[in-house]
Amino acid sequence: MIMRKGFLKYGYGLAACLAFVMGALAFVSRPGPTPYPLSYPGYFGNRINIPADNPTTMEGVALGRRLFYEKRLSANNTVSCGTCHLQRLAFTDGRRFSIGFDGTPTKRNAMSLANSLWVRNFFWDGRASGLEAQAVTPLTDPHEMGQSLDSSVVKLRAAGSYAGAFYAAFGAAVITPERIVRAIAQFERTLISADAPYDRFLRGEYHFTPLEQEGYELFFGGGPVRSVGCSNCHGGPRTLTETYHNNGLDSVFADPGRAGVTGMAYDRGRFRVVTLRNIALTAPYMHDGRFASLSQVLDHYSDHLAGGPTLSPTLRDTAGRPEPLHLTAGEKKALLAFLNALTDSTFITDPRFSDPKIN
Amino acid sequence: MRMLVFAVALMLTTFAEAQTVKVTGEVTKPLTLSAADLAAMPRTTTVAKDKGGVEHSFSGVALRDIFKDAGVTTGRQLRGENLAKYVLVTCADNYQVVFSLAELDSSFTDRVVILADQMEGKPLPAGVGPFRIIVPGEKKPARNCFQVTGIAVKFAKD
Ligand code: HEC
Ligand code: HEC
Repeated sequence: MIMRKGFLKYGYGLAACLAFVMGALAFVSRPGPTPYPLSYPGYFGNRINIPADNPTTMEGVALGRRLFYEKRLSANNTVSCGTCHLQRLAFTDGRRFSIGFDGTPTKRNAMSLANSLWVRNFFWDGRASGLEAQAVTPLTDPHEMGQSLDSSVVKLRAAGSYAGAFYAAFGAAVITPERIVRAIAQFERTLISADAPYDRFLRGEYHFTPLEQEGYELFFGGGPVRSVGCSNCHGGPRTLTETYHNNGLDSVFADPGRAGVTGMAYDRGRFRVVTLRNIALTAPYMHDGRFASLSQVLDHYSDHLAGGPTLSPTLRDTAGRPEPLHLTAGEKKALLAFLNALTDSTFITDPRFSDPKIN
Repeated sequence: MRMLVFAVALMLTTFAEAQTVKVTGEVTKPLTLSAADLAAMPRTTTVAKDKGGVEHSFSGVALRDIFKDAGVTTGRQLRGENLAKYVLVTCADNYQVVFSLAELDSSFTDRVVILADQMEGKPLPAGVGPFRIIVPGEKKPARNCFQVTGIAVKFAKD
């Protein structure tokens, strides 16, 4: 009763006040974009990278997917990100060097985009910190897509069909260079590969064949067979530790690798350890695509390690000499079987990752 | 010709950049330690096994002595919220390992973890040096990391 009296007494003032506040709120806020549920297995760990100013949203990812496959983002409308990063090849292109809009080959081999959510420094030399910063490079590189971000803005605006998507993703229909790269980065964060036979093994849903099991033990150690130490570098279920190593490809370096970024002598010929997920699909191999097959890669680690001051200590004996793994034919077969068990056919056929103009 | 100029420039920048260890984070005085700085600090020698199981003697500077210079909360100050501090060691290849601040402190343990710059009285070999961590008595040498470039003292914030 007392409450009611009080309400009556102050009721009108309060109601007016509330109406004003709610009206003001409705005016400035809108139903914001919906968070995108990034789902991944617990064994991947939560050391993921999402900048505070670019949360992953359904609308942002949908826009990013369109932009990833948008050829208008290249100078002569012939190339998109998807030209060099094809879903069916786990977002690589099968070439030793990729071909940009003007026909010039790239300096390095195109990289898989699987599980970039966990990567902090992008490219073979780790020179781009974050997916947003990374995307600017191919977009504006004079030979890859060859177009300034400002020209991309003008072309997308002229295309007419993007304003609604930018509004949905960022609450403003204005197309800006920053929003273009943010949306692309959001889409890339969703490219999670976690349904290979190896994943089903980790989830207890699949038994490795004896050969796969042996390869798994050679790779990670801890089994009845010897460890050949792949996991010292390609460690953990994501098959990478984000470190830079010289894995013995050369002793004289045509490409300085990490040293090109840091200027340090100890970084010459060091490259980022990359994921081996879907590795059977991403030939040719290494930063310069020098190996056409996984057998050649295994022959390298087995018999051809090049020495030199920056060769990883992991690949040396205690006296500091290169220590090739001397794999037997049987060990190579087993390792190949395990590497093939990293192929995730769900990932390469997932309709959420394909060109939206096609499906 | 252009390639040559580029190569020379790269070599110059490479040699100009001497290797150092940066001590940062929850410190009152950030440090950038060179080989000469370490040589001038109190020296500690300890033993550790290499991957072949052979023991070697390593010398360098105890992390606790580095922390003293950098103004890290050690000894009597290492209580309360300061016990939620950890030390993140970063290496040139981007490898990282963590210690809790307490496990490096002389009021908690007699074990002395060092930033080593010599093995058997000689500079560390290429690929390992100039600076590495040595944790005496550790069963697995995975924290005896190579080519240390940074030591950051941080607060666990969760
Ligand atoms: C002309 C071919 C080409 C195009 C077009 C291209 N890329 Fe790439 N991409 C490459 C190559 C080559 C590399 C490795 C380059 C290096 O390391 O220097 C690479 C590397 C990357 C990486 C690094 C992955 C990692 O793990 O470090 C990402 C991410 C990436 N590209 C995303 C994109 C996006 C987004 C677009 C479109 C905006 C795009 N790429 C367009 C060829 C291309
Ligand atoms: C010392 C660290 C290290 C060890 C040990 C190591 N790798 Fe690598 N691996 C690397 C690095 C670094 C690269 C990239 C090198 C480059 O491109 O210059 C690489 C590249 C690869 C690639 C090519 C990836 C691609 O996308 O092109 C394959 C395949 C591979 N490694 C398999 C293995 C296998 C199998 C083993 C064990 C027999 C192994 N690695 C052991 C560091 C290592």
